[in-house]
Amino acid sequence: MSTGVSLMLTLLFLTLIKSVPIVYAALGGVISERAGVVNIGLEGMMTAGAFSAVVFTNLTGSPIVGLIAGVFFGAVLGFVLGFAATFFKVDQIVAGVGINLVALGGAAYGLVLIFNQPGASPQVTQLAPGQLLPQITTGETAMIVLGLLCAFGLNWFIYRTPWGLRIQACGENPRAVTDAGLNPLRLRLYSVIASGALAGLGGAFLSICEVNLYSDGMTAGRGFIALAAVIFGRWTPWGATGAAVFFGFFEALQYVLQGRISWLPSDAMQALPYLAALFAIAGLVGRVRAPAADGVPY
Amino acid sequence: MKHKAIVICAAAAAFLTLAGCGKHMAGAARPGQLALGMVTDVGGLGDKSFNDSAYRGLLNAQKSLGANIQVLQSRSASDYQPNLTALSEKHLDMIYAIGFLMNKDLDQISKQYPKQHYAIIDAVVDDPNVVSATFKEEDGSFLAGALAALVSKTHHIAFLGGQDIPLLRKFEVGYIAGAHQIDPSVKVDVKWVGSFEDVAGGQELADVLFNGGADIVYAAAGKAGIGAIDAVKTRANAFVIGVDSDQDSLAPGKVLTSMVKHVDVAVFDIAQAIQQKKGLKGHLIFGLKDDGVGLTDFKYTRAIIGRANIERVDAIRQDIVSGKISPPATPQDLATWKPVKL
Repeated sequence: MSTGVSLMLTLLFLTLIKSVPIVYAALGGVISERAGVVNIGLEGMMTAGAFSAVVFTNLTGSPIVGLIAGVFFGAVLGFVLGFAATFFKVDQIVAGVGINLVALGGAAYGLVLIFNQPGASPQVTQLAPGQLLPQITTGETAMIVLGLLCAFGLNWFIYRTPWGLRIQACGENPRAVTDAGLNPLRLRLYSVIASGALAGLGGAFLSICEVNLYSDGMTAGRGFIALAAVIFGRWTPWGATGAAVFFGFFEALQYVLQGRISWLPSDAMQALPYLAALFAIAGLVGRVRAPAADGVPY
Repeated sequence: MKHKAIVICAAAAAFLTLAGCGKHMAGAARPGQLALGMVTDVGGLGDKSFNDSAYRGLLNAQKSLGANIQVLQSRSASDYQPNLTALSEKHLDMIYAIGFLMNKDLDQISKQYPKQHYAIIDAVVDDPNVVSATFKEEDGSFLAGALAALVSKTHHIAFLGGQDIPLLRKFEVGYIAGAHQIDPSVKVDVKWVGSFEDVAGGQELADVLFNGGADIVYAAAGKAGIGAIDAVKTRANAFVIGVDSDQDSLAPGKVLTSMVKHVDVAVFDIAQAIQQKKGLKGHLIFGLKDDGVGLTDFKYTRAIIGRANIERVDAIRQDIVSGKISPPATPQDLATWKPVKL
């Protein structure tokens, strides 16, 4: 295989791998915002997922259990945010920032408490590390497929089921949901829990699938990039998935291009994914519309 | 909508700033007990590399000198000053600033607390109350480069750096020169993770380098280097060279060697000198001669490298110690540097 072909394949596979965690978190963002709750806490829910996945993999030796734990603890944080944002009417942004800080601090403290070493966890069993395709592991392949299934499922759920339509109504006009005899607060809560579960899954991918350890700050702002993907994808599941892949592509591109364009310093290259996000969002300002009651407590 | 966007941006900024300031505190020192403080660099503890090496030195001082130790971790460069100030307020016997990036902040803080003793690793701060310890990374990296050129089957090796800063350029430049000392036609690819923390990025960039044709990657990237070591585990005929700490055992047989930088020794020596109330010179330089830098003893890779190659690298080491070879330390030096005829 020539080097050129090999590099193109590398770019393709890296794009997929870099997109996966953002796809999950962005899908989480879509369902939460469709129900009317802006989920700033995606980053913290990813952290919770990444950390608990490592802890439970280490405890049981099974990365599948770790993955489930990641989903569960992401959902727990989703419950906390959802409860605060609905029944307690806490400002959604403030509650979300709180979630982020608690998750990051909790994981840092948990490292010392559980593993007795600050900074990074020991290495644990990776999710299906064997090779199915030449450059991505079986586990990564499975998570890519699952991500697509989630996008498909969420799309079907939001547009084709009564519950999905009710959740949409919560984000557009919660009063109408009340008038129809349903409790929009409860629907919002369920949506944010699902959002947390998806973000937790994305976090678990980072720690036990892409690598095999938790390290402080490893989510590195992906939760916020996912929020950008939600807007760029116009609050639709497939749109957000596409936007996440778009951002993943630029991250992969900077890896491959670095050192090949000699006049461009590596720092400029590393800014590429963020510049892409910035231009994508800036280009959309005024042309997209969020759900009418998005971010508004009811 | 516009208002909300501003709030979200502010929230993101606040989060990324507040994410710093990890603490790992112990209780207060007893009277008469040696009290040592340390501020780690952004790679943080658990990097199995630079910061962990410094931490080992501190733990050693705790064990053999009975010192009370306190560590503050920095998650971003904006944590350096608050962390240094917090420790300075405690009036400790010695405060270590672990890392080149802290030099300006330490210069400022050390003037504010003229009676407090400080030590900085990897940078020179010219204040009477600061001891500076630097290492000749280019010398150790030169040996790593020579070894890589000798062992490479593809005639193509690579360097993976953390952040593109002058200190890391010493590793890069020394490595390239070392490879060219063996064979000027060896190709050396260079990539930067852009962070010392991004383990996944380190792993994927190492994959890109291996897929690009290199068969040996020298990973000088702190915690991100763990990812590179992980990437090599599943590859045949490919190796990583570790950095700062002895990383050979992280993937036995796949980590060719590690360019060890004995930050732990520097940290411990300074603590000991303080306890014995010895005067400290302003600038300590650790090189090949005093084992401040050097390669490991190839515990797992001796057979792969071969006796002749090990002897060749050892001969180069002698030539650097004797001054016959002086490895370049900056890209400018490298541009004019020529392999030395032996």
